[in-house]
Amino acid sequence: MLRAPELTADRGGVTGIHADIDALKGLYGALVRYRHAQREVAARGEDQVRATRTALADKASQLRAQAELAQGEYAGCRERAAQAGPEDLPVDCSGYARAVEQATGQLEQIQLWQQRIDDAASEFSGVAGRFSGLLGEELPRLEEHLAAIVASLERARQLQAPAS
Amino acid sequence: MVSRPEQDGDQQLRLLADAWDQAAEHWRDGPARQFGEGPLAALLDESRGYLEALRALMDLLEAAERETAG
Repeated sequence: MLRAPELTADRGGVTGIHADIDALKGLYGALVRYRHAQREVAARGEDQVRATRTALADKASQLRAQAELAQGEYAGCRERAAQAGPEDLPVDCSGYARAVEQATGQLEQIQLWQQRIDDAASEFSGVAGRFSGLLGEELPRLEEHLAAIVASLERARQLQAPAS
Repeated sequence: MVSRPEQDGDQQLRLLADAWDQAAEHWRDGPARQFGEGPLAALLDESRGYLEALRALMDLLEAAERETAG
């Protein structure tokens, strides 16, 4: 957890702070940009997970339909084979059997990947949640802390200016 | 080619570290040390951990897409 250090710049001055204001402003700007940019990174990561899950679900749906179709054709073939008489040509259902095997094998592969991604995404969600909290709550506090130091230094500069 | 999100995150991490290095050249006192060694170091560490986890997840997604293509 991030903790902003105790602000040593008090209301009336900048006790303990010796810094170039522009350098601190630059750092402040970098922190703000960092927060926005990493939020974008996190959103893109989530989009990527969603897109891959959707693509796998579509493939699984197609393969499930293919497997059902192949199983129906295979069952029809076996029925024709069972009904064929001794004088009929032999009925070869091996092509249908292979089609069933291929579709169900591919479907199982997709389902395995779906499970692996679900597990990994679930594990990742803990890390992502902490990072989201850091970007959403802790980093803004750090920015505020830095902004307060800058404001305090600017006040001190304004107070010193008439005397110089 | 579109870059992977964690690569952009790594780049942002480098930019922030550079910004700190530049600021630290002009801010060298106790509060600066506190800031750099405390909250900023924690921010960079947390970020690295997140980006490493994101990289592993993106690797897995790429493998899934590759292995289930066609």
